[in-house]
This record gives sequence, structure tokens and C-alpha cells, in this order.
Amino acid sequence: MAMKGFTRKFKPLEIITEEQVEAIHRGILDVLQTTGVRFESKRALKLFEKNDCQVDYDNMRVKFPPGLVEECLRRCPSSFRVKAREPKNDLIIGGNTVYFVASPGMQTVDLDTWEPRPATKKEYYDTVKIMDALPNLHLFCCYTPYFGFEGIPEVMKIPEGLAAKIRNSNKFTWSCFSNDCEIFNIKMVKAVGTETIILAMMASPPLTYYNSAIECAFRTLEADLPIGVDTGTVFGATGPATIAGSLVTYTAELVAGIVLIQLIKPGTRTFIAGFPHPQNMRSGSPAFGDIGISLFDVAFNQICRKYEIPCRNTASAYSSSKKMDFQCGYERGIPAILSAVSGAQFIHVHGGMYGELAHHPIQDILDDDVAGMIGRFIEGVEVSDETLAIDLIEKVGPIPGFYLNKEHTRKWWRKEQFVPEVADRLTYPEWINSGKKTAFDYAKKRMEEILATHKVDPPLTNSQEEDIERILKEAREYYRKKGLITDEEWETYKKVLR
Amino acid sequence: MSNEILENLKKAILEYESEKAANLAREALEKKIDPAKALNVMTEAVRQVGDGFGRGELWLPDLVGAADAMQSAMPIIQKEIERKGMKVETLGVVVVGTVFGDIHSIGKTMVCTLLAAEGFTVYDLGVNVTAEKFIEAVKKYKADILAMSALMTMTAPEQRKVIAILKKENLRDKVKVMVGGGSLTEEFAKNIGADGYDPTAPGGAKLARRLLNK
Amino acid sequence: MLKGFTRKFKPLEILTEEHVEAIHRGILDVLQETGVRFESKRALKLFEKNDCQVDWSNNQVRFPPALVEECLRKAPSSFRIKARDPKNDLIIGGNTVYFEPGVGMQTIDIDTWELRTATRKENYDGVTILDALDTVHFLSCYCPYFGFDNVPSVMAMLESVAAKIRNSTKAQWSGYQGREVFVIEMAKAAGIELLGNIICSPPLTYYGDGVENIFRFIEAGFPIDVCGGGTIAGATGPATVAGSLIADGALNVAGIVLVQLIKPGTRVIVQGGAGPQNMRQGSPAFGAIGGSLHNVAYNQIFRHYKIPIMDAGCYAGSSKRIDYQNGYEKAIPAVLAALSGANLIGFHGGMYGELSWHPFQAIIDDDVAGMIGRFIEGIKVNDETLAIDLIEKVGPIPGFYLNKEHTRKWWKKEQFVPKVADRLTYPEWMKTGKKSCLDYAKERMDEIAATHKVAIPLTSSQEKDIERILKEARKYYKEKGLI
Ligand code: B12
Repeated sequence: MAMKGFTRKFKPLEIITEEQVEAIHRGILDVLQTTGVRFESKRALKLFEKNDCQVDYDNMRVKFPPGLVEECLRRCPSSFRVKAREPKNDLIIGGNTVYFVASPGMQTVDLDTWEPRPATKKEYYDTVKIMDALPNLHLFCCYTPYFGFEGIPEVMKIPEGLAAKIRNSNKFTWSCFSNDCEIFNIKMVKAVGTETIILAMMASPPLTYYNSAIECAFRTLEADLPIGVDTGTVFGATGPATIAGSLVTYTAELVAGIVLIQLIKPGTRTFIAGFPHPQNMRSGSPAFGDIGISLFDVAFNQICRKYEIPCRNTASAYSSSKKMDFQCGYERGIPAILSAVSGAQFIHVHGGMYGELAHHPIQDILDDDVAGMIGRFIEGVEVSDETLAIDLIEKVGPIPGFYLNKEHTRKWWRKEQFVPEVADRLTYPEWINSGKKTAFDYAKKRMEEILATHKVDPPLTNSQEEDIERILKEAREYYRKKGLITDEEWETYKKVLR
Repeated sequence: MSNEILENLKKAILEYESEKAANLAREALEKKIDPAKALNVMTEAVRQVGDGFGRGELWLPDLVGAADAMQSAMPIIQKEIERKGMKVETLGVVVVGTVFGDIHSIGKTMVCTLLAAEGFTVYDLGVNVTAEKFIEAVKKYKADILAMSALMTMTAPEQRKVIAILKKENLRDKVKVMVGGGSLTEEFAKNIGADGYDPTAPGGAKLARRLLNK
Repeated sequence: MLKGFTRKFKPLEILTEEHVEAIHRGILDVLQETGVRFESKRALKLFEKNDCQVDWSNNQVRFPPALVEECLRKAPSSFRIKARDPKNDLIIGGNTVYFEPGVGMQTIDIDTWELRTATRKENYDGVTILDALDTVHFLSCYCPYFGFDNVPSVMAMLESVAAKIRNSTKAQWSGYQGREVFVIEMAKAAGIELLGNIICSPPLTYYGDGVENIFRFIEAGFPIDVCGGGTIAGATGPATVAGSLIADGALNVAGIVLVQLIKPGTRVIVQGGAGPQNMRQGSPAFGAIGGSLHNVAYNQIFRHYKIPIMDAGCYAGSSKRIDYQNGYEKAIPAVLAALSGANLIGFHGGMYGELSWHPFQAIIDDDVAGMIGRFIEGIKVNDETLAIDLIEKVGPIPGFYLNKEHTRKWWKKEQFVPKVADRLTYPEWMKTGKKSCLDYAKERMDEIAATHKVAIPLTSSQEKDIERILKEARKYYKEKGLI
């Protein structure tokens, strides 16, 4: 058994031709061979050298023979399973299956002022619980819901966040690294018998890998876990302003990471994360919500299909709007449907608000409807004698013929339609009578309901809970010793822990 | 004749033509044009582009393009000014970098470009810069301003550390410290004892002027 | 000619070829076996003359498949519609995508979100705004409002057409309800064409006035919109998408047959628009994804017939406000329509279920339409855009692209820069009073109202003609006791 997700039942949307995919692929091979990629790690450089790459130790630049690159791409499995705490939440990643992933946001927002502020520990745990309850949310991303919570030292934010997700949900989660925290992340998932995908192999565009990412990749593979390769090009800043050009640099970065992974441990379950954006030419920040991201993602999905490596799309994760308003709606809806019809295996939809900086559980609940609706779309149209219903049409005939009272309608309507949980579907007079409630109001109510009734099933066993607490303690001591938790931070932290 | 060259130099910057700007700078000096005058038209051109940006007519690539074109002509003109024993007109020396542990480079690079365009002499130390490297550079370049960028809450405290070392080395009153980057707030900046903070790169360039009363 | 947008890649297809064939055969079979009811003697006679089997007792027509297929072939795959200003002419068909406004019966009060009738000024201002928005290429019938304050309902249609002729030079379509005589006269006076429409009533029925009016429009030489009238899956069509495709498709194809029998080669655009029923309220489930499943499949079938397509149903969601739900309920269907081959998409300004319309919404939708348009224009892949040499030159960190000529040249072609979306960073947003797209839309509306002029105002003799025709109509309806 595994999490079903949604299955796309028709050919994916393609916006570039096969020849164009080829041209981009050749560009990638050429950049890897001619320009090369910088790897700030002796260990990696040596491995590359041993495998016939041309290594310039002074500049830490590696140039790759195309044959090796293509061979390493082939080593990646096209589909694989990752284990969650409950087998029903395992994921089978690849092909035409689509999973919806929560979007990270650094902080929560105040619903009166729409200003961001740090989440409290309770808000963090509650939000995880809400996400556990949403049927169309299939897994967690690393920094979801928030980047840690109030009162904990910076270095403990990632491990504490992971612990919260393990405690309050048994859905699968990705995780991340910073200051060696992957050591503790790996221990925690092992302690509860699950896996995680660490987005370890993270490039810094243009064409650079820093040592911490590479070290984390080595650790991940030693632990026999699947791995994510990641990069975050901003077109016009850290990549060419053209989508085609950024497809080349972005993918070249990812492919270089894949080569390292497949050299360290051939056959490693690898998936492609990544985070592309045009640049906002006014503020310099990534242009969240820009349609250029979707143009990029849809073409990128074509390239990943050629490589037969599963990938994710982030275009629908964030909007530029600061509120849950119309803009946020179209800036999420359009990219999400485009990603789903074009073959991404993971799509970030739930909960993200402005530019990776904010997340809110009400947004999660609203987005569960969006995900459900998109999931229903990609499941497509069933065509069979029964659904074509020619006999029924003959029987009903012209007006005054009517379908509502037919057995066929009772049997089929629920399969054909998607019925949202919190969208306002009232008629105008009913809406006036209801006190003019909006989807937002219904979402708030659903949030309260979930918090009052939802239970994580099954909860951690006592011994698992003890393990988690022990590993967190280890982490705290490790960072205290390293001087990365100041006395002042430690005092506040202790209060939060109580 | 000399006017025409200066006009063209200005135009080259307004049209973001780096190579042309450098060639025209050379030509101007060959024709014995006063380097100070050349410098003036260059600054004027960049200011014009900056104003266009401020009004919302021009965009970042234009702003940065003009700054780049100016930067390519600048060393040529400066060398001549020095040779003539005139004082190099700079608003001040700024050392810039993204702090240790942090590899976010986009905002920092914008800050560098705009400071240069404003008329500062800029030394870009790159990303992942240790406190020691910052201090070393402040000493080496006799910096008037130290500008640090930090994009993550995890790395922002590095700035506090750098300021502490500046104090220890008795450098704190010799250099103004300004900070910025996505994770910072005005409050945090005050808290760590920085002299200034701005949420934008263009604002940062203006802030640098204010810090030096220029 | 208005360029609109051009889809530069293969359309999205959610049916296999075999599915399309199965549905096509289903349509032919329903037309042959079940037939369609036409409440019009004139039409029935014409069908009989053309070898259809007509049952005069219940007005039901059964069509020989060969006739149906022949009539489908007679409709042109692409054609021009003339506007008052030739630069606003449309060439409809193939992979072009045009947008038109949504319709709403009334306007809303932005503070209470309640419906109220628009004033005459609001209606005229609404047209001005639509005239000013670049992504509005065509004006729908009954847009922006279904009439306005103090206009008797028989005059609503005519006053609406007059407002659009006066305040815009864009092409438009028009409803009928027995008003077509005056509407056609007005169009002739202004020197434009109107897209007429034949509306049907699912299941499988055409009423008399719906049929009568297209004889007049076709006589005038105008193109025709064959309008499905909105099959509701589970009420007026089968609850399954596949079944409703057949029921709705058969109805529309019957309309096309009639049009092509009246005058072969008549320009036709077909309007699908089936959607599921809201099984609690009984109303159409506006904004439901089932509508898109239907439309995308429908577009695939009519592409197969090579008949231009209008997806008019992308403008109405179920939300009553300009909010998050409204955002995704409008945007997702619109982008799916654009991907799957709709040539004309109804979009701007519509809010809840055809009942409300607002100029703020239209202005925000201008950004959404622009964004969708940019998407379907796709990606350019050539040596310059691939930029391999530039990548080599820039190299790894600290390489940077912002200061490069290549960036200056290309970024605006690659990105779409919206007009009223909030694109600020948090600190900037807080400093500028936390404005949202709604605030910016208001600013843009004021700006348009203050500065926009119709490119070619009506000549005074045209204006006189319009006023004279309106007068005639008023008199006519007064005498008929309808006012
Ligand atoms: C692009 C990006 C990346 C790219 C960076 C590419 C590059 N070469 O820079 C990549 C993908 C590589 C990346 C990596 C990571 N990132 Co990152 N990234 C971002 C993102 C989306 C945008 C940052 C950006 O460039 N903004 C645009 C620039 C122009 O803004 P800016 O730098 O703030 O600069 C403006 C002003 O602040 C000002 N300014 C900047 N500096 C200065 C200095 C002075 C003196 C002054 C006056 C002004 C000033 O001027 C600029 C323009 O006006 C942010 C989210 C966000 N919305 O901000 C996350 C974000 C910053 N990243 C984050 C994280 C966690 C990471 C990683 C650790 C991820 C991981 N391992 O999984 C790694 C970091 C590794 C490391 N050791 O640093 C987090 C930080 C969370 C936190 N706790 O603070 C953020 C907030 C996202 C999130 N919510 O998770 N990232």
C-alpha cells in the first residue's frame, strides 16, 4: 500500500519540440564539458578526477566528459518507493503520479494586519496537525510549515521542525541541512523507521557547489537514503534572462550534482528539486507569481521526462501578494494546473503565501480544495459505453427530458465532480442569509474542527518518542559545545522546552 | 570637439555601452580633456539613469548596465586624475560582503553596483565571508564603510560578531557599519549596534552617503 | 487586425483519438436516432427539404449523418470579424486566442459585496475601461451589464449595444430576443459586423425566437455564434462528462447544420460551456473543475471539426467577492481553455455566476489574461536564447547576469510584467500602505477614466442614426405595450 496521489490519465502538455529538448540537452552537455562547475570539496574533486573528469584544483573547477554525464543520468531509477512511518503514506515516485507538497514559509502572518511574525511552538505543532488531516496534501517539504518557531536557537530550527512533523503527522517529509544538522535528521527518521529525502545536493547558481552541500550528500548516501538535487536560479541574475538559457545553466547544475551522487553510489534514488524564477526587475527579488516560472517548469518537466528522473515544480508555491486575495488565487491556480498537466511528480501548492516568507494554515485548507480540483482534472474523462450514455440520451430526449432523477446521475455524479470542502458554493440569496461567508470563513471553521477532532493515527510509541527526545538532546549538546547556541539563546530555549 | 566627446561618453553610459565608454574615456584623455570634467558627465549620466529608475521608467538591468558602463571607464579617468596629482573624487571606500555561512549573492551584488554608481570605491569580498576576512579588508583598504549582507536568520548574528571584533581591534569608530539583507529588520540592526540599515539596495547607496555626511 | 495571442505549441489533449471518434459517433447517432426539437416551421421546412426526417407532431428532426458531416465541413475554419476600427478586426480560428469580457447582470457594491443595478454612467464607464484594456479583444453581448438603471428590460439589449458602439471601437457580439432587427440596423449604421447568436435549450431543443433571429443575422451577412446554452451535467445532460459532451455536442452540431443549410459557408463559432450541477443548490456549479474537463474535451472535438471555438464560461466562479477562491476559480479554467484551443475566451470582470460584474475585476483580469497570453506564446529556443557563449563567459560564482547586455535585451520579452499585481517586497509593501491588487486596480481605473479616449469617435451622422434607431425601437415597444 502507498499514498495514491493523483494520476494523470492523458499525455502531458509539451511546449517545446523534441528538437528543442535536444538542443537544450546538448547545451547542458556542452556547458558541463566546456565551462564546467565549481565544487568546493577536495573529496568530490578527487572522485571526479578518478572518473576521468578534468579537474582544475586551483579554481576547484570540474569539466565533465559527456559520456560520463549521460551514463550517470541513466543510473538514476525512473520510479522508486520511499518509506513513510505508515506504509499507507509511502510514496511511489515517478511516472504520471502527482503528489502535492506543502510550501514552506519562514513565518506565519497576522490575519488582521497581514504582517509576518514568527510562529509559536504551539502554532507550529498545530499547523502540522492540520496538514496531517488534509487529504490532498501528500507530504511535507523541509521548511514547512515554518522555518522553526519562536524561542529556539537558529541551529536547532531544522531539527526541532523535523521532530514536530514526526510527532504530529505520519506523512512523508523531505528535510534539509545547515550546520551538520543532517546528522540528527537522519538519526531521527531512522529511529521511527521511516525515510526522508534530504535536499542535500544543493547548488549555488551559477554553476557552484559549496562544501556543506557536498558533505551532506555524502552523509545522506552513507545512510542509504534517497536524495534530492536542488538549485535556485534567478533568470537575469544568477542565470541568463532567457528561459532557454536558464534551462541550460539550471539543469547543468542539477546534472553535475546527479553525476556526483551516481559516482558516490550508483543507482541511488534521486529526485530533482529546484527553484527557478525570473528576477523582479524592480526589487531584485525573485519574481514570485510570474508566468515565466511556469514556462520554465513546463519545459523543464519535458527535459526530466527525457532523463526519466522524477522532479518537482515550485511555481505554485508562492505568490507575490501578501494576502489571501484574488492575486494569490490566480498566481497559485495557474502555475499549479500547468505543472500538473505537464508532468511534474511533485507540486507545491499548500499554504505558501508571499515569496517563501510566509505560510498559514488557513491557506493550507483553502489550497486543499485547489489541489483536489487539479487532481480531479488530471484524472481526465472516462469514456466508456456507460459514461457516453447514448441510450440514456435517447431515453430522455429533448425538453421536457431531465437527468437529475435518473439512476445514472445518482451513480456517476460524485465520480465526475470534485466537491470542494471550503469553497463558497451558495446561491446569492443563501449567501446573504449565511452572513456572506467566504471560503476564508469556512476554512477558519474547518481549521477549528480539525484541531478539535483530528488525531495522528497511530501516534509515536513511547520508545520512539524517547528516541526523538534523546536525539534532540544530543543535537543541543553538540551545538552548545560548538558555541553555536549562546547562553542567552539557551535560556530562552529552555523556557520554550518546558 | 571636446564637448562632443563628453556628450558621447555620457551617451555611451546612458546606452549601457561599456566598451564604448572606456574607449571614449581614453579618447577624451588623448584630446587633453580635463579628467574631472569627464568624471562629472559620467556621474551625471548614472544619476540620470538612477532618477529614471526612481520614477519607475527604467528597470534594474538598466540601472546596473549604466553602473557597469561607468565602472569600465572609471579606472582610466581615475588614473589620469592621480597622475595629475589631483585628488581622486570618491565618496568613500566601502567593503562589502555576504556573511559567513551564507551564500546568497544577488542582493549583495546589487548593493555593490549601486554603491559604485553612487560614486563610492567598492571592494566586493563575495559571499561566505568570515569575520576575519572582513576585518582584514577594512584595514587593508582603509574602509570608510563596512557593508554586510545576511539573508538568513541563522547567519544574521554573524554581523554582531564582526562588530564585536571591530570593537576589540579599536576599529569601530574608524568605520561605519551598515547592514541589510532579507532576514534583517531595522530593530535587529539597532540591536547589534550597526550604524545603518536599509531594506533596499538603492536605499543602501543613499544611506552610505548619509553615514558619511556626503 | 488585432493580434491577440498565438499558441505556439500543440494544444493540451485529454482525450485519445479513439475517444474523440467515440464521441463523434455518439453525436451522429444521437442526431440520427434521438434527434433535436426545433420550434420553428421555417427551420423544419428547410430540414425536410434537405432529407432530414421531420416529425411534425413534436417538431423533432432526425439528421442523416452524411448531411451532418457535410455541413460541418462547410463552416470555415478561420475568418475575420470586422470592427469599427480596422485595427480591431479579429481573425478567428487556428491557434489564435482572443479574450472578451465576462458578463454580469448587475454591479456590486465593493463595501458590502451586494448586488445592485448599474447606473447608465457606470455602464458607459465600464465600456470605456474595456476599450482601454489591451487584453480585451472583443466585446461580449450584455457586457458589462445586462442593461442599467431606468432602462426598460426590452430596451436593455439595444441600449447595451449602443453603449458599446459609442464608447469603443472593438468588435462585438449581440444577443437577440426579437431585438435583432434594430441591432442589425445599428450595426449597419456604424459600419460594423456583429456576431449573431443562435441559442439552444438543452436537452436537445431549439425554441422559435432563437432560431428566427439567425435567419435575419445571416441575411445581413453576419457571422453566427452557435451557443450551447450551457448543458448542466446531471440536470439537462448526463452526469458524466463523456455523456454531456455528446448531448451538448449534438445540440450544437444541429445548430451548425441549420446555419449551413440557410447559407452555406456562413462563418460560425461554436460555444460549448457545459458544466456540472451544484448538487446542493441545483444551480450550475460555477467555477467547478468539471466545467474545464468538459471544455477541454469539447475543444478537442471541435478542433477535429475545424470550427473556431468560444469558451465563454471562464469568467464566473461561485465566490461572491474578489477573493482567493474567485482567483483560482477563474484562472484555472481560463488557462485550460487557452491551452486546449479555445479561440475566444470570456473572462474580464465577471464575478459570481453571471450575476455580477465589476470594473476592478476587469482591470485585475487584464493582468491574468496577459499572463496566460504570455504563457501560450511559449519559449524561444535558438542560439541567442540558449546563450551558451554567455554562460561560458559568466562561469560559476561570482559570475552574474544582471549587468549583461543579453539581460537588458531579453528580460522583458521573457517575463510578463503585470500592471496592477502587488509585486513589492515586504518592507516596500509596508512602507506604501500595504496595497493589494484591488487598490492598484482602483488607481488604474481612475487613470483610465481620466485619460482614455475612444480612438475613433462616432461621426455625428452615425451618432444621429444610432439615436434615431433607439428612438424607433422605444416607440415600437411602447406601441406593443412592452414598455
Ligand atoms: C534565491 C534564494 C536562494 C538561492 C541563492 C542564489 C544566490 N546566488 O544568491 C539558493 C537557491 C542558492 C538559496 C540557497 C539557500 N537558501 Co535561500 N533563498 C532565496 C530567496 C528565494 C531569495 C533571496 C534573494 O536573492 N532575494 C533577492 C535579493 C535582491 O534580496 P536581498 O538579498 O534581500 O537584497 C535586497 C535588500 O535586502 C538589500 N540588501 C541586501 N543586502 C544588503 C546589504 C546592505 C548593507 C544594505 C543596505 C541592503 C542590502 O538590497 C537588495 C535589493 O534591494 C529567499 C526567499 C526570499 N523571498 O527572500 C530564500 C531564503 C533566503 N533562503 C533560505 C534558505 C534556508 C536557504 C538554504 C539554507 C536552503 C537549504 N539548504 O535547503 C540555502 C543556503 C545555503 C547557505 N549556506 O547560504 C531561507 C532563509 C530562512 C531563514 N531562516 O532565514 C529563505 C528566507 C527561504 C525560506 N523561507 O526558507 N537560496
